[in-house]
Amino acid sequence: MTEGIGIWRCVKCRAGFFPQRLLCPRCHGDEFEPDRVHEAVVEEISTIRHMLGQTDWQPRRIASVRTSDGQRITVGLADDSEPGAAIELFEEGTAPFGKAKS
Amino acid sequence: MNAAIIGVGQSAYTRRPEPGQTTHTFIRDAVVAALRDAELDARDIQGMAVASFSLAPDAAVDLAWKLGLSLRWLLQDTNGGSSAMNMLGHALRGVETGAASAILVVGGDATGLGGYAKVAANFNIVTQLHLAPLGHGGPNGVYALVTSRQMKKYGLEKSDYGQLAVAQRAWAAHNPYAVYRMPLTMEEYLAAPLVADPLSRYDCVPVVAGAQAIIVAHPDRSPRGRTPVRVRAHRASFNHDNQEGDGLQTGISTFAGELWQAAGVGPQDIDVASIYDDYPTMVLAQLNDLGMVPGSDLARFARRDVGERRFPLNTWGGMLSAGQPGGPAGGLNGISEAVLQLQHRAGARQVKDARLAVATGYGMTMYRYGGTAAAAVLERME
Repeated sequence: MTEGIGIWRCVKCRAGFFPQRLLCPRCHGDEFEPDRVHEAVVEEISTIRHMLGQTDWQPRRIASVRTSDGQRITVGLADDSEPGAAIELFEEGTAPFGKAKS
Repeated sequence: MNAAIIGVGQSAYTRRPEPGQTTHTFIRDAVVAALRDAELDARDIQGMAVASFSLAPDAAVDLAWKLGLSLRWLLQDTNGGSSAMNMLGHALRGVETGAASAILVVGGDATGLGGYAKVAANFNIVTQLHLAPLGHGGPNGVYALVTSRQMKKYGLEKSDYGQLAVAQRAWAAHNPYAVYRMPLTMEEYLAAPLVADPLSRYDCVPVVAGAQAIIVAHPDRSPRGRTPVRVRAHRASFNHDNQEGDGLQTGISTFAGELWQAAGVGPQDIDVASIYDDYPTMVLAQLNDLGMVPGSDLARFARRDVGERRFPLNTWGGMLSAGQPGGPAGGLNGISEAVLQLQHRAGARQVKDARLAVATGYGMTMYRYGGTAAAAVLERME
């Protein structure tokens, strides 16, 4: 587990993006630097109760969140946080997750 | 206008293909049916456009080879739910410019349920890296979040989406190709198990195996006594907002005004609509983008116009009842139904005196929602 989520910040206009882009959609700058964002607010959640092609699926929760830097990203929820909750972000490999702020 | 849709055809649809039934055999069946419908010989076909999630490792030219088609115009489209509409636009221009006199447009898939799950988990690099490891449930999970957003923004209730599912099932009763034809009640809709909250079983398009084809040619090539269908206007959009919006406005919102202006008609003139329906949420979003929902009151539209059967929407049952044979063929399904309606060949589901139709495509769930959209206004050529 790695604290925060890696984002890509345009060197030219400083806008941050997730997922990674090739050119900045705001200014079309072609240079990015890595940055991290640590907090977000939950906007919508869903419990995935069924997965096509799988019979022993265990329900899990996902959420659309707005990060403190403004990105809207989809995360796995590691607890029972509800819409409106402030969460802290972390990564498992390339997958973004969130849980209630400790 | 020197191009029209002169024939349509489809294969059988099935939830579980039998051994020996493949993407290729379903596509063949649809091609044979379309040729028969257009009263053309395979030798008359000079161009082909194809879209499929499961044709690989074959490409379009391999399909041409296996169908025995020697061509001078060939296209393979990768835009998912808007592939059909996209291919239609290219085919119209191909015929109008003389690149080919008759173009076959075909889409089909036979992934099976497990195969579709693999497609959904590997839809693009972003999905592989950032969504599938969450167990996001494929498009069901993505559109569950979009649906919650739409419910909040427009004050929609779960039953409002049910109005679409129930109404479309009633249409499907008259479509012998639909995989689900039994009537669906609102009680059954609301009692169905949740798949990805708030989406339940009847909100999620059923994946089927099947294929669909249309033929575009000069209107004079239309079978004797049959009215060809022309496209008054066609527009498309790709990556309209860099996935930075809320997903409640599709790419259609970027061109709707221009589409109606080019067509010379307005939303109020439309007799029948084929709106790409992988989820009821996105049907409402597209209709709203098209300007077909007065005051953007989605709840009123669902309850009154759809629920009370005032507006002929997805009259073949839509993909929600007829089945989705992959996104590409699913889009062709709506175009084909519009053609049948405008040719007054839709049988028990015929909309009286239908003269104008709108059809859409929407797809490619890149990250938080779809990134491709297209629409056309079709007209019965009197």
